[in-house]
Amino acid sequence: MEYLIHILIITGIYIILTLSLNLIVGFTGLAVLGHIAFAAIGAYTSSLLALHFGLSPWIGVLVGAILASFIGIIIGFPSLRLKEDYLALATFGLGIIVYSIAKNWVSLTRGPMGLPGIPAFSVFGYEISSGWSYLILVSAFVFLTYLAIRNITHSPFGRVLQGIREDEIATLAMGKDVNKYKLIVFIVGAFFAGIAGSLYAHYITFIDPSSFTPMESIAVLLMVVFGGMASLKGSFIGASILVIFPEILRFLGMPSSVAAPLRQMIYGLLLAILMILRPQGLLGRFRFK
Amino acid sequence: MTQQLILNGTIAGCFYALIALGFTIIYRTIKFFHFAHGVVFAAGAYFAYTFFILFGINPLISFLLSIALASLLGIAIDRFVYCPLRKNSAPNLVYLITSFGIFIFLQNLLQLIFGAQILTLRTGLIKEGHHFLGAVITDIQILIIVVSFILFFLTWLFIKKLKLGKAVRAVSDDPIGARVVGINSEKVILAAFAIGSALAGVAGILVSLETNIEPTMGFNAILKGITASIIGGIGSIPGALFGGLFLGLAENLGIWKIQAGWKDAIAFAILIIFLLLRPSGIMGVKTKKEQI
Repeated sequence: MEYLIHILIITGIYIILTLSLNLIVGFTGLAVLGHIAFAAIGAYTSSLLALHFGLSPWIGVLVGAILASFIGIIIGFPSLRLKEDYLALATFGLGIIVYSIAKNWVSLTRGPMGLPGIPAFSVFGYEISSGWSYLILVSAFVFLTYLAIRNITHSPFGRVLQGIREDEIATLAMGKDVNKYKLIVFIVGAFFAGIAGSLYAHYITFIDPSSFTPMESIAVLLMVVFGGMASLKGSFIGASILVIFPEILRFLGMPSSVAAPLRQMIYGLLLAILMILRPQGLLGRFRFK
Repeated sequence: MTQQLILNGTIAGCFYALIALGFTIIYRTIKFFHFAHGVVFAAGAYFAYTFFILFGINPLISFLLSIALASLLGIAIDRFVYCPLRKNSAPNLVYLITSFGIFIFLQNLLQLIFGAQILTLRTGLIKEGHHFLGAVITDIQILIIVVSFILFFLTWLFIKKLKLGKAVRAVSDDPIGARVVGINSEKVILAAFAIGSALAGVAGILVSLETNIEPTMGFNAILKGITASIIGGIGSIPGALFGGLFLGLAENLGIWKIQAGWKDAIAFAILIIFLLLRPSGIMGVKTKKEQI
């Protein structure tokens, strides 16, 4: 049971990541391949604040998310002018730079040794450390993320985003400041990714750079594409299947030296097959153009 | 100290340039980032390991076999993966994501077969290098520099002089126009994949003679290769050489002042600066704003 709850918590964290990336990739059509970098910023910020200044994780999550979106502005502002695969490459490079900072700025992040002993959330002195209580907390955050993204995409603002995705020049001609919209999407996406990172850090109580490798960004992208582009339900399904499915491999009694590459192989193959046969994903409504 | 760093940078630069060269030739015909090129490079090294170390075949024959197999692997990726996408006339981004998928698949296949441990092609004792202008250079390193420059010259001749090379340029400049004058673009793409992937195989073998073989080696290689070709100007052959050397020297001279762990961060900072300020690279033709 403990194990099942653990898997559900991790699934919840990935759902937040997938929903926020879907806003950027699925709804707005921007190719961002460095999403996990924002989660890393959130995770490290709230962990360091809690460890060095004894700041409550509640404030840490918020500060981490704000810092992630601030970095999102700094990066987004220049790089959103790039198109398609150049944007993908630039954001992927960004993911590698953030990973490299986490690994090499030893005096701040302790590098590959990681940060142990990150304190847990607490409510009125009651500690939310593991099991049911944390599952409820993560579920609440998933629900908040879902509400926020749903409201954004179902508003006039969201229709402009879809306009950018379908025909950027036409949207520009309608008098919409396309770059401003893109930037806001980037900020919102980075904000929720930052929250997901903090939730992960305060749950596992230990973070190191290996949780935030550039390949992890590809995994989140796969969840978006697999579940469905521009489909919120799809993001739930995509993240759930792709987090839970590899766990089945573990039950088949494979050693981790086989299971780990096998999981990645399945991810890679799935991504390629999806792109050839159904580029909009299971429940998606939109294809890349 | 400086001389040694310049030499190390030149050798790293030759690797990057070779990968960028294969990548560039493929890019010219298909116009998207063939990320799986990195895994072809890694596979080249593993093929060489299989023939040379495991089967004990004569090095020259085993290396030639590995290069041929790397070339076939590239062709197979094009036939089985990119060809169906071309029929759907998929957008660039779909190609890029598919390419990532194939990369992840094959890299982990290598890890599953050969394990995650570090392997090597080197046999026998390590010889002391020659002293040259205040730096130490080994026989293998001389071989790397010589082979790289020969391959560059041959590829340049191929693109400029041979009929097939002209066809590659024609498809690159105007695919529809090329078809009008009777060039079979599928054949040209096939040739580009064959040559580009063979170059990746050569680079893989050279790298594993100089350093080690591990399943994840292709990741770093392709990222540096793409960065080098963007710095030099994507699609340009002298650009690939120049970009590779520039990147290798910048990384290695950079760690003179900064710790070695920051190498990758330096490389990607350069990539992002180039993407933002001069996406057509140093030698590339200035692209229209729409295409960036």
